[in-house]
Amino acid sequence: MTQLNIPIESMALANGLRVVVSPDRTAPVATVGVYYNIGFRIEPRGKSGFAHLFEHMMFQGSANAGKMAHIKAINSSGGVLNGSTHYDVTNYYEAVPSNALDRVLWLEADRMRALKVDDENLRNQRDVVKEEVRVNVLNQPYGGFPWLDLPPVAYRNWANAHNFYGDFDDLDAATLDDVQKFFKTYYAPSNAVLLILGDVDTDEGFKLAERHFASIPSGPQPAPADIDEPPQIDERRGEVEEKFGTLPTIAIGHPAPRRLTPEWYAAAMLDEALHGGRAGRVYRKLVLEQQIAVDTDGGIHYPVGDLFDYNGPTLMVTRIMHKPEYSADRTIAAYDEILDEMKQTGIASDELEPIKVKFRSHYFSMLEGGGSIPRYGLMHLLACFTLFDNDPHLVNSILGGFMEVTPESVQSTAHKLLLRENRSIVIRQQAKKVAA
Amino acid sequence: MSSAPGSEIQTTLPALAPERPVVWPPRVRATLSNGLEVVLVESHTIPKFNGQLFFRSGNAIVAATAPGLADMTATVMRTGTTARSSRQIEEDLRRVGADLSAGAGADNSVVSFAGLVDFSGDLLRLVAELTQHAAFPADEFERERRQLVEGLKIERTTPGFLGSERFRRVLFGAHPYGTISPTETQVEGYRLEQLSEYYRKYYRPGNALLVMVGDFSPAAMLAQVEQIFGSWAAGAVDDAPNPTLPELHGRHVYLVDLPGSVQTQVLVGNRAITRKHTDWLRLTLANSIYGGAFNSRLVMNIREEKGYTYSPRSGAHSLRQHGYFSISAAVRNDVVAAALTEIFYEVDRMRSTPVGEDELADARNYMTGVFSLGLATQDGLAGQLASATLERMPEDYLETYRERILKLTSADVLDAAQKYFDSANAQVVVVGDRTKIESQAATFGQLEVYDAQGQRI
Repeated sequence: MTQLNIPIESMALANGLRVVVSPDRTAPVATVGVYYNIGFRIEPRGKSGFAHLFEHMMFQGSANAGKMAHIKAINSSGGVLNGSTHYDVTNYYEAVPSNALDRVLWLEADRMRALKVDDENLRNQRDVVKEEVRVNVLNQPYGGFPWLDLPPVAYRNWANAHNFYGDFDDLDAATLDDVQKFFKTYYAPSNAVLLILGDVDTDEGFKLAERHFASIPSGPQPAPADIDEPPQIDERRGEVEEKFGTLPTIAIGHPAPRRLTPEWYAAAMLDEALHGGRAGRVYRKLVLEQQIAVDTDGGIHYPVGDLFDYNGPTLMVTRIMHKPEYSADRTIAAYDEILDEMKQTGIASDELEPIKVKFRSHYFSMLEGGGSIPRYGLMHLLACFTLFDNDPHLVNSILGGFMEVTPESVQSTAHKLLLRENRSIVIRQQAKKVAA
Repeated sequence: MSSAPGSEIQTTLPALAPERPVVWPPRVRATLSNGLEVVLVESHTIPKFNGQLFFRSGNAIVAATAPGLADMTATVMRTGTTARSSRQIEEDLRRVGADLSAGAGADNSVVSFAGLVDFSGDLLRLVAELTQHAAFPADEFERERRQLVEGLKIERTTPGFLGSERFRRVLFGAHPYGTISPTETQVEGYRLEQLSEYYRKYYRPGNALLVMVGDFSPAAMLAQVEQIFGSWAAGAVDDAPNPTLPELHGRHVYLVDLPGSVQTQVLVGNRAITRKHTDWLRLTLANSIYGGAFNSRLVMNIREEKGYTYSPRSGAHSLRQHGYFSISAAVRNDVVAAALTEIFYEVDRMRSTPVGEDELADARNYMTGVFSLGLATQDGLAGQLASATLERMPEDYLETYRERILKLTSADVLDAAQKYFDSANAQVVVVGDRTKIESQAATFGQLEVYDAQGQRI
C-alpha cells in the first residue's frame, strides 16, 4: 500500500492564511498547529539565536491573552502545547480534548494578530534560553554535536553556517524592537499555515478558522532570503574540543539533494542502506563487524531535521563514535571503504526491497506519532508540503516515488553525492594530553 | 491592509464545548495454558501493530551478585538464536519493516517491537525465538560488553545521570533500587554463563505479559499468539528481594563535583508510594499542581518569573516495591541557593495552604485530558495498558481513571502533600562545579561531597 487515503482538505483565507484540515474522529482529541515560513537559517545577520528566542516570546503574551494565559488555557483544558524552531519553519502546536478546539484556535489567532510583550518578558526568556543552551549544549557531553558543529565547517553563507542556538552576546543584544520587527516581517498570515487534525469535521474546521483568523490584517510577504551556497570543490575539515565525553567522535556530511527531485528519492533509499539502524551498512560494518566504533547514526538533515522538513542547503550526515585505540584517519578510511563499495558494486534488489518495506513502515509511524502529540508527524508533513510545495496532498502520494527507486538510481546517486571533494568532516574529542 | 467584513475580534477566551465521551477500545485478555498473560487491543490508526513482551524480573533480582545483569542479558539475547545469526536477525527485521529492542530496568525485562500487520506472524515468530532459543554468542557478548563499558564512561560525565545515581543511592541505600547502573568493574566481571542462567530462569511464560495494540482483529491475533507461544514450557519464578531501606532523618545535601560545569543539576525529594497505594492518584494530582505540568507552580516560579532554569519539573515515580517523589531543575550556577529556596517555598506552600477550587479544577482537567490524548495513538494505548496490567491494577483501572481523578478534592491534595512532600526530611543532590556551588548548597543541610566516580571526598 503506497497510495494513502488520509482525508485532507485545504483552503486559503482572504488574508493569505492557508488552512488544512484532516479529520479523524476515532478519539475525541484534536491536534492544532500553526507553522510560519521562518526558521533559524534566515534570522537577521549578527543576531544568532534570534528565531528561537522569538519562538519563546510567542508564549509571553498576545493582544488579549497575557503572559501565561496561553499555557494556562491549554493545560486547564486538558491539553499540552509547545513550539519548536527548525531550519526553515517555526511551529506552535497543541493537542487537546476536542471540546477545546474553539479556544485553541482563538489563542493561536490572538498571537498571530499581535504580540503584547515587554522588556521584563524578554529579559526572562533570554535567561531561560541561556539555561536551555547550557542544559542541551554547553554542559552535556557531545552537546550540539553535530548539528551546531558541522554547519560552520560545511558552509560559507552566514545563513547556513551560523550558531543557530545563538551566541550569548547576540542573545543579550536582542531588543524589544527586534522582537516586534521580526513579528511584523515574518508572522503575517500569508506566511503561515494553520493545521487542524483529528476530531473535527472539515466544514467545522474551516468555519472555525474563518471565525478566528479572517479578521487578522494581511501583511506584505517577506522578501526571499539568500541562502545559496557557492559550489564546494574541496573537502572541508574542522575540529571541536570535547569538554566531557571520553570517546572521540566524527561527523561527516555530504550535500543532500533538493527535495522532490529524482536524486532525493534515491538518496532516501541510499540513506537507509547506509544508516538504517543495525542492518544499515555503516553500523553493521563499523560497530558489529570491524568493531572500530561503539555507535554510529546518521541521516538526511540529521539530527535536528528529517528528509521532509528542509528547504535549502543541507547535508546527509554520518556520526561515528569510535574506540580511542583507532585514529580518526583509520576510522574515516573504514567509512570510505563502505562508500566505495556502494559506488562500485551498488545495491542488490534483495537489499533495496526490504529497505522500502522498512521505509514504508517508518513513514506510517511518523504520521501517527510524535511523543505526546497525536499525529504530530502528519501535521509536520502537511505543513512542510504546504509551505514549501503548496500541496498538502503529497502526504498521500509521496510514498510512491520512494517505492519506484531502482538499484541503478541508488548507485548513480551514490556516485553523484558521496564525493570526497564535496564533503565536510568535524572531529570532536578531548584536547590531547601533553606528555610531561 | 485589509480585514474581512463582518467578522469581529473576540477578546475573551471561548468556553469549552461539551465533552465528547472517551470510549475505550475493547480489549481481549487471556492467559495461555503455560501461564503467558496476553492483552490485545485493536487500533486502526495505521496499518501497523506494536507489542511488548514483559518478564516481571529485572536488574533488582540479580543486584546482589551482578548489578545490571538483566539488561546485559536482554542486550545479548537479541544478537543470536540457535537458528539465526545477529546479521540474519537484523536483516529479517528489516524485511518485515519492523523495529525491535530489548532491555531491562529494575523490575522488568522487556522486548519491544513494532511492525507492519501484513507480517505480524514473521515478527511474532522472531520474538518467540529470541525469548525461547537465544544462543548467547561469546563474540557478540564481548562486543556488547565493551560498548557498555564505553557507554558507562560517558554516562559518568553527564550531569543528569550523576544526579540520579546519587539521588537513588541516598533514597534506597543498599536496596537494589539504590543502584541505577553497574560499575565498569562489575561489567568486566559478567560471565556468559550468568547471562544464560538468568535467561533460563526468568524468561518463562508464567513470568511474562504480552501486550499488543494495532490494526488487527483481537480474536484472530489471539489464535496466532496461541499458535506461536503456546508450546513454550511453563516455569515458576521467585520474587526479587526487598531488603531494609535506610532511615532518612533531616535534610541532607549531597554534592557531586563536576569541575568545569557551567550549570548545576538540582534534585530534591523523598521516598513515597507505589501506584498500588490508595493515595497514588492524590499524589499524582498534587504533583501536577506542584511541578508536573507546564502551568504548574514550580515552572511559573523558577522559570517564568525568575528565569533560573529551562527545564524544571517534578514527578511521582512508581517502582514495583517502592516509589519516590522528585523535583529537578538544571539551574544557573549563581542561583543554586535561590532556586532551592523557591523549590522549598513551593513545597511548603503545598503542605500548608489548601489549593483553591479553580487551580484544582484546572489540574484535574489537565490530568484527565492528557490521559485521553494517550488513547489516540497505538503507542499511547500500549503504554497505558502496559503500566496498568504489569502491576496488576484492578481490571477497570483505566476505564475509571478519569472519574476517580475528577472526584479528588482540595483536602486530598493537601493530605498528599503533607504526607509525601516531606520537606523536613528532603534529600538534596546538586551536581556541578564544587568551587562555584558548595557554599550555596551547604546552607540547606548537612553536606557530603562526592566525585564523579561516586567516591566520597
